[in-house]
Amino acid sequence: MNQLAVVLVFLPVIVSIVIYLSKWRHMNIVAIASQLALTIVAVVYFTHFYGDFESTHIVLGGWDSRIGISLANDELSMSFIFLSLFSWWMVLIYTFRFGHTEHSFLFFLIFLQGVFLGLLQSNDLFNVFVFLELATIIVTILIAYNKKGESFRSALYYLIVNVPAMLVFLTGIILVYFTFGSINIVALTEQFQDVDDTIILRFSYVLMMAGISVKAALFPVFTWLPKAHGVAQSAISALLSGLIVKAGVYLFFRMNFLYEGAGFAYSDFFFMVGVLTAISGVMFALSQKELKQILAFHTISQVGIIMMGVSSADSDMFYGGILHTFNHALFKSLLFLGAGVIIQVYRTKKVGEIRGVFKTMPVVSIFMIVGMLSITGAPFFNGFISKSIIKYGLAEQGWRYWALYVINIGTATSFIKMSQIFFGPKTLSYPLKNMAQNVAMMALAFGCVLLGNFYIPFSEGFFGIRVEEFDLTSFDVLLDYGITVAIGLVFYFTVIARDLKPVRMIRESRISFENANLVFLIYIVALTTYFVFLS
Amino acid sequence: MNPILTFLVVLIGFYGLSTSDNIIKSVFSVTIIESGVILLFLNLGNFQGGSIPILSEDLVSIVDPLPQALMITTIVIGSTVTALSLMLCIKIFHHYGSVKWKEVLARKDVKS
Repeated sequence: MNQLAVVLVFLPVIVSIVIYLSKWRHMNIVAIASQLALTIVAVVYFTHFYGDFESTHIVLGGWDSRIGISLANDELSMSFIFLSLFSWWMVLIYTFRFGHTEHSFLFFLIFLQGVFLGLLQSNDLFNVFVFLELATIIVTILIAYNKKGESFRSALYYLIVNVPAMLVFLTGIILVYFTFGSINIVALTEQFQDVDDTIILRFSYVLMMAGISVKAALFPVFTWLPKAHGVAQSAISALLSGLIVKAGVYLFFRMNFLYEGAGFAYSDFFFMVGVLTAISGVMFALSQKELKQILAFHTISQVGIIMMGVSSADSDMFYGGILHTFNHALFKSLLFLGAGVIIQVYRTKKVGEIRGVFKTMPVVSIFMIVGMLSITGAPFFNGFISKSIIKYGLAEQGWRYWALYVINIGTATSFIKMSQIFFGPKTLSYPLKNMAQNVAMMALAFGCVLLGNFYIPFSEGFFGIRVEEFDLTSFDVLLDYGITVAIGLVFYFTVIARDLKPVRMIRESRISFENANLVFLIYIVALTTYFVFLS
Repeated sequence: MNPILTFLVVLIGFYGLSTSDNIIKSVFSVTIIESGVILLFLNLGNFQGGSIPILSEDLVSIVDPLPQALMITTIVIGSTVTALSLMLCIKIFHHYGSVKWKEVLARKDVKS
């Protein structure tokens, strides 16, 4: 039964090759069928092993389990698998018409799914590296798929910033292998329980975290993200922002579970990095003028909030961070898909030039508004649940609480700015012709509302987290949200709408390619100083 | 070869990345970093007088075969990355007429 884990990796890969080679015109139907089969396999696998994930461990090829290729699943990886299946469903439906003619696009899209599912299930460190690198290469091609100059340069920037980071991650793996003689995560977790705290071990942690930070777009090393996510096709941006960035966050969880035994995981360092990431993401988002750039910078800020949550182990904040990973995937995909439709109709990316969206396309507007309410943390929408859990965890901690509060105000302001596109008279006619796009957005919006109201069974079923203890329906939270939005409105009309000088300065600030790499080196040095020398 | 020397190779690659404005040179810097990492891994698994890890009758002292197996994979991935980035370099040169990051990133995209 645990052989099914292999099917989850190879079915998309094989189907994608068939799609690429075939000349049949309706290959997108094959893609949907394979996706259906994959979902059924995942559900069967999950129901079979539910409650007993120890036995999912499988070593391929009959090698020694310490060095062979092995796959294993637990609650976390299973929930990520379902999240990625859902995201790919939405993207496949959204691009249903486009995939009709573009076989190579479908090839890369579905191949990426196999690679990503492999990354989630992989139980040996080297395969984590291989899958991550493969995902990087395929994402590069998908970013460059528009074949414009802009997309080529963003793709190359993405590749050249990410590959050295992956090699740094690999160096960390090498150090672990020569300390323990094993690369199997399950075996290593046991060995880490009674380990001597050596400099080599700490250095391996630092190197792995440095690589992961670039993948997850943390504070000083996020320069590639807005470039890549801003120019890719909207469906691809949705996938990148919703899910592929989460590969870094997922590995952050994994590596911290691993190093927990050695005693230096979950440090305050990553809380600080999370705060800086969130604040800088919000600051840049406030200054941007293009629809997709705003959304891309908000991915950075939301990853920062996730990091603030998961940087501590023993409180509920950790679960808040994990839940926020899921909620962010839903609403950010929704916003990117909606923005894609709007850009397609209006033929411009500038927020200032788009007006009257609500009159022109009311259905899309409603979905976008659901996404905006979710990301700003309105009650009864999913972003609210996870943000509140993190907020409860920080309640007694002075400035940390206020840092989150400021970030929330910034997010609210930024989406007040974006919501200006809804106002105004009807400017052009939009016949409701592409049903598939609306279906995909409707499913995502439905997911946002569903998780916002029925989060208790979801979080218990998947993670075994009990969230009833949080009082999330009182009058206070409504008031809190109202205050946040009110401050946001004032801030918008006094500073952002007038486009004051500091805002323009932030918008026009650039960091050159060389300095971006230098910043990565400085980040490694800072990590080393904190984890190796200071403790 | 000393592990310190391989570390120096990695540093040379990072030096290239963080000082050169040329796109082609940054691609090569990535390749250099990768060579350094591969050398480091092979080095740590190797020792003086060890024989090649192929099963035979007189098996005395062989080097650790796992690093070699893993590094083959890394080399394959690395060549893919190099090929892909050089292809993108050509495309960028066609679109912008330059291989300098500063010029390429500053340019507004021309509608074609």
